[in-house]
Order: sequence, then C-alpha cells, then structure tokens
Amino acid sequence: MHKFLLNALSVCALVAACAGTASAGETLDRVTSRKVLVMTTDASYPPYSFLNDKNEMDGFDVAIGREIAKRLGAELKTVTPEWEVVTAGRWNGRWDISVGSMAPTAERGRVLDFPAVYYFAPASLAVHRDNPARTPAELSGKRIATSAGATTEQYLRHELKLPELGTSPFSYQVENPQIRPYETDTSAFDDLRLGDGKRLDAVFSPTLVLRQAIKSGYPFRLVGEPLFYEPLAVAVDKGDPEFSAKIAATVEAMRADGTLKRLSEQWLGDDYTQASAR
Amino acid sequence: MASILSRRPGLGPDLGWRARLALGAGLVVLLAALDLHSQFLGRLAAPLLGVDGGVFASVAGATALTLLLGLNVAVLRSLPFRLQVAIVWGELFVLFGAFAHSFDLSLPFIESKLGYLITQGAFTTVYVSAMAIVLASTLAMLGALAKMSRNGMAYGVAGFYISFFRGTPLLMQVYLIYLGLPQLGFVVDAIPAGVTALGLCYGAYMAEIFRSGIQAVPHGQWEAAAALGLSRPLTFVKIILPQAMRLIVPATGNQFIAMLKDSSLVSVLGVWELSFLARTQGKTEFRHIEMLLTAAVIYWLLSMLFEFLQARLEAYYGRGHTRA
Repeated sequence: MHKFLLNALSVCALVAACAGTASAGETLDRVTSRKVLVMTTDASYPPYSFLNDKNEMDGFDVAIGREIAKRLGAELKTVTPEWEVVTAGRWNGRWDISVGSMAPTAERGRVLDFPAVYYFAPASLAVHRDNPARTPAELSGKRIATSAGATTEQYLRHELKLPELGTSPFSYQVENPQIRPYETDTSAFDDLRLGDGKRLDAVFSPTLVLRQAIKSGYPFRLVGEPLFYEPLAVAVDKGDPEFSAKIAATVEAMRADGTLKRLSEQWLGDDYTQASAR
Repeated sequence: MASILSRRPGLGPDLGWRARLALGAGLVVLLAALDLHSQFLGRLAAPLLGVDGGVFASVAGATALTLLLGLNVAVLRSLPFRLQVAIVWGELFVLFGAFAHSFDLSLPFIESKLGYLITQGAFTTVYVSAMAIVLASTLAMLGALAKMSRNGMAYGVAGFYISFFRGTPLLMQVYLIYLGLPQLGFVVDAIPAGVTALGLCYGAYMAEIFRSGIQAVPHGQWEAAAALGLSRPLTFVKIILPQAMRLIVPATGNQFIAMLKDSSLVSVLGVWELSFLARTQGKTEFRHIEMLLTAAVIYWLLSMLFEFLQARLEAYYGRGHTRA
C-alpha cells in the first residue's frame, strides 16, 4: 500500500516536473505526426483576425498561419483563448504557435520564443471629425485613449521600448497627454464616437484598426503620419529550438518568395512586411 | 375616503387628492428639468403649441406625459390583478423596445448572425451551465453534509473549500484551474476547465444554502423518525430532505440563473459561447451594440426558462404547505 502511494507520488512529481515547457523536438514531432498546426489568434482584431460571414476565422494573421501550416505539410486549426492566457506561456502542448500580432517584448521573451517578425504595424492618433487638430503635437495635454499596457500607452508615457528587430527611429511628438487606458481599442472608439471632447479628445491605436473603424462609419480622422512602427512576431513555446528554427526558416522563405508581401497587400492594402520599405 | 373606494386591499399607500396633485406636479418639474438638456419632450410638444422648443415647450411636454401616466394608472387600477400585470409587462416591453430602437440597430445584421449565435453560442452556454449545475449540486450536497458532520477532517476540508471558492473571484478560479492544473500534470481543455471552475465556485455557495435548508427542518422530525425506528440515512432521504427542499429550491434557482450568466467567464479560455460570439461577431463591422442586445435577450429568455422550472419545483415541494 505504502509502496503504491510512493510510486504514485513519484509519478506525479515526475509529470509535474516535465509539464510546463516543451522538450526538444516535441512540438515539431507533434505537428508533423498529426499533420495539424494549432494556432492561437484574437477573434476580434480585424483586419488581422476576425470571424468572417461564414463564422470562420479569417484575416491577415490567419492567412499567415495557414501558409506556415501548408509549408509544414499540416492543416491549420485556430483556437481563440484570451490574450493573457497566450502571453502567460507554458502552453503544455495545447497549441503550437501564436500568430496574433504580438510585439516581441523582453518581458514576453522570458516565457515565449519569437522565431520571426512577420510585419511592422504603424500606430496613429485619430480625433473626432469635429476636432480641428492636424498634427500630433496639437494633442499635447489632451485626453488620449490607448489599449491598456500596449506599446501605444508606453509611447504616450515616453517609455516606449521596441525590440531591436529592425525598427525605424521615432520621436515623441505628444507632450503630457492625459492618458486614458482602455481594455480594448474598440471600447475607446465608442467613447470618442459620442462626440469631440465628450469623453475623449483622441484615440491612439494601430493605424489599420482605425482605418477599419472609419470604413465602418466611425466619424474619425487620422492625425498626421503614424508615430511609430511596431515589429510583430510569431510566437512559440519555449524549449523546442528545432521547431523555432523551422518556423524562422519558413517565415524567411515566405518573405523571400514574396508571399508575405502578397498577403500584406491583400489584407492590409499595402506592404507592411519590410523594415526598410516604409 | 379613498381607502373606502379602493377595490383591492394592497400593501401600498392609497393617496389622497392632495398627495396625488403634489406627486403630479413634482413629476412635471422633474421631467421638464430632465428635458431641458435633450429637448426630446419639448420638440414633441413644440409644433402643437406653435413655438420652437424652449422651457415652455418642455413644461408642456412634461405635463402631457404626466397626464398620460396618470390616466394610465387610473385605468390600470380599475382592472383585475392578472390583467394589470399583463398590461404593465406589455408597456415595459414597449419602452425596452423603444430604448433598443434608439441605437439605430441594423435588423438584417442581427438576422444574419442570429442562427450561429443560437446554434453555437446559446447551445454552448446551456451545455456548460448544465454540466456545471450537476457538478455544483453534487459538491454542494457533499459540502453541506461535511459542514454538519462531527468529523473534524470532513468539517475542515469543507470549511476550507467553501471559504476559498466563495472568497476568490470566479474569473481568478477560471484562470487558476486552466493555467494551474497543467503544472500538476493534467492538461485540461477549455470547456472541462471552465465547467470545473463554475461547478467548484457555485458548489461552495450552494453548500451553505443546502446546509441552512437542512438545518431549518425542526429537530423533532429526526426524533419522530427515530421513534418510528427509521435509520438515520433513511430519515435524511425520506423525511428531512423533502422538507428541506422547499427552502433550498428558491435560493438554488437564484444560483442557477446567476451561473447561467457567469458561464460567460469561460469565454476567456476561448470557448465560443454566447457572450464570446456576441463580442466577436459584431467586431468586423463595428456593430457590437446589435450583438450585445441580441445576446442579452437570449440570456433573458434562457433565464425565464429557469424561472419557470423553479416555479414548478417550488410548487412540487411546497405541496405540504398549501391547503388541499
């Protein structure tokens, strides 16, 4: 009886020790043997990833994932856990890869690997149509909304730390804004839509998300040029360097043969995949 | 004199004419003051008076609305109880509809998304809730029994369980179970993790409901059963529990309705249930108000179903307390 208990306990301890990070080759083996690549992505981040009319996941990020899966000889399967669950790391094989417009920050680098940057996202200020501001500097001291904890908020605090992955230099053009952090960009949009200066004077969000909102009838106007470009990367769990290398090579091949550029133009309306081409 | 004329003895006060006049005047002032900003009533009244808005129009609009309300109350008072209830429900529904209409909703958009919202969203919500209800009821009964036992270990375990799961937010529990169990070697999927969290949390609340219901049955019932020679387990199942259920059912029904809506928290794990789809389906076209309102109505309808079942169960277990 006691021996059985001891055995059971040691098995538990062993399993607990192994759980957590992937071991070498594990993820790659799983993908190639099952021929399924499981990818996380955000379900409400158009045009990068969203539910389309057929209630399937679609968008730029999903197209990138589909292409990576194809080149690994696998089918793509998407899952949509909350952002915090993905960035917490320790995926335990629940999914293999995240193509979800994630900035490869140093903090996230402690629990995740970033084998490849696949595009550079511009961030812009937008105001209500009735607001006269034409340059970012005119919005100094005003109430500006950002997504909480995002790089846009860091920029407004003059604390922006972009990973050193071929980003272009930027300058701080807005002084002492009253920062209004929101859970998501879109709830900030709803507040700005109430009218100029009602709850907010401006929103600071990814340029393409703003363009999508304007296209959907939000009474906004972009202010000047994008303030910075943020590199966004494919993320994988720590501990399987073979899989990381394979993903890095795959994305590099997609860049080299023009697939990245083609998908970017198809979904984002322009080529956002080159660090230098802006 | 009003109290002599009133048709139905109720709990509410029956107002004299002075009080009614004061109430009406107060309502006019309140409505007019509220209207000064938006001028909604004022604009309705303005064409009839031949003026364009302003304080005068607002007061006129407020007076008209107050008279209308007074007339409505007067008519309602002359009706039988059931008809009163039906008409009040109907009127409040119309007001709710008018509120929804003010958002300038796109009905074709709702129509195009409704099918999936029900077949995938509402189905998953009901499925998750139903499994969590089974788990919670089991845990609650075990917890209640342990809380009443003289065994120190059982009491300690149950006390810790109830204290922890009542004392921490459900959202934290969802995250802890989903992210924490793999640390112990159990990689659970999103739905089992969500069901476990919901069941554990609501089981803790319901354990206290079960315990209070069981302890509310007079101790004489135990003694009477013992005098008849019934064993303690048999007494519990046949004598105590049926009487306790009368007290347990209403509070538990409340918990189930609350759980139905709290099941939306499992959406953080990526489960495509009702509120997840409500938040995501509208995003592409930036039409979330449509989806949120639709989901709210679906939740409401599901809750009504629970209310109906609860009323039936209450009637069943309350048989001993009604006149035959």
